[in-house]
Amino acid sequence: MNRALAIAVNTFRETIRDRILGVIVIFALLMIVGSLWLASISLGQEGRMMKDFGLVAVSLFGLIVAVFVAANLVHKEVEKRTVYVIFSKPVGRTQFIFAKFLGLAATLACVLAGMGLFLFFADWAVSKAPSAMILAATALIYLELLVVVAVTIVLSTMTSAILASVLGITVFVAGQLSRQALSLTSLGHSPVLKGLSWVVYVLIPNLNAVDVKPAVVGEVAPDWSLVAAWSGYLVAYAVLCLLFASWLFSRKEF
Amino acid sequence: MRRVVLALVALACVAAVVGFQVTRPAKAAGDPRVFVPSPHFYEKLSPSYRTSIADLYWLGIVQYYGEHIEGDRRLDSVPAMLDLVTALSPRFIEPYLFSTFALADAGQPQTAYDLLERGYRANPRNWRLPYQLGFLAYTNGKGKEKALTAARWFEIASGLPGRPAFMPRLAADMLRKGGEREKAIIMWGPIYTEGDKFARQKTVESLETLLPKGKAARMKAVVPLYQTMPKDAFQELLAELFKDYVK
Repeated sequence: MNRALAIAVNTFRETIRDRILGVIVIFALLMIVGSLWLASISLGQEGRMMKDFGLVAVSLFGLIVAVFVAANLVHKEVEKRTVYVIFSKPVGRTQFIFAKFLGLAATLACVLAGMGLFLFFADWAVSKAPSAMILAATALIYLELLVVVAVTIVLSTMTSAILASVLGITVFVAGQLSRQALSLTSLGHSPVLKGLSWVVYVLIPNLNAVDVKPAVVGEVAPDWSLVAAWSGYLVAYAVLCLLFASWLFSRKEF
Repeated sequence: MRRVVLALVALACVAAVVGFQVTRPAKAAGDPRVFVPSPHFYEKLSPSYRTSIADLYWLGIVQYYGEHIEGDRRLDSVPAMLDLVTALSPRFIEPYLFSTFALADAGQPQTAYDLLERGYRANPRNWRLPYQLGFLAYTNGKGKEKALTAARWFEIASGLPGRPAFMPRLAADMLRKGGEREKAIIMWGPIYTEGDKFARQKTVESLETLLPKGKAARMKAVVPLYQTMPKDAFQELLAELFKDYVK
């Protein structure tokens, strides 16, 4: 356990040293310029615009960090041959994959917390009222991105880092279209195609089961029981991906 | 032991993932009012993907039609969708033809007619468009005018390549229904000349109903046919039409 923790902490330090936190600064600058611009064109709705577009920006910036760092996570260890040093110690492949994931999850938590808090305070300054829903929405974005990280790690064990990054982004986009995949299951009469549609629907991570943005901008309250069920689903999906990545990784010879 | 635990964790995760997905409610029938951008929007946005966008919308129309015709029977957005597809891909014939019954189902036969006319202007060598126009004019028009309008379209379709053999007969029959007896008689001439045994038999039957019964009047009525047929075929037809008068 201590060994896994050591790998996780090391991964966290390594990614932080890669100036990943610079993303927060870019995000902050973008939000400041964006809010000045939105104030001039939104006819008094700058608070709403800032919340809505701010969360979209959190999601996209987070995605960039998640995918590009996750794709290199395992590759780097293999390329620099540090993996030999690690596996000369009593560390299992599953432990290694989970620890790397935890390290990146901690980095991603810092990045998203930074962006979420900045958005929270910037919105407070603009709207003159705090909106805790921004933080809740950021937490849900974080869970979504953890799934993307896990999927990208699976992909990175099978292919190159660049291809894994591209495929990771593709999976994120496909996950946003999960509902459309569900409607495919009711089209046509062929049982084979229907079966295949179900397989695709279950395999693609469902990243759009809940949208809390309407609640953030004050429209409808989210269904918290669905949010809880979806969170459980995301965690289960991420764990499954990591177990699969571990199995793939265990078949590699070093 | 460790492997067993991992397998159990994996099984629990699979159950959670599949359980969550299969309990998602099926997508409810969508709102019949769908936002359909103007064709100019796509023409400006992506000229090189014009036909691909049209094809995507065509797939959308088929699903939209199937979803609503079996449900609330509201097809509010069909006209705008068909307009978009045909504007982006004017040579794509199927949406024009589909419009005949889809827009008629949506209670807008005139829109279907206008769209088919636009299709005919863009594809003047395709017989299916004037044929469909004639069909639509006849099924949705009123009085004798509807038969004449239909006949006009069937006549156009008769002159186009690839048209089926029945097209000139249909045109001639429509002319008769519209009260254009003389025109109808003339239409049957080429049908007899070019047609097979069945077409010739139909020609004789139809001319029997169109031509007057009196010998002199009948002789006078068939004179215009002489202009439209070769001499042999004309004489053969005359023999058929006057066989009961030779006594």
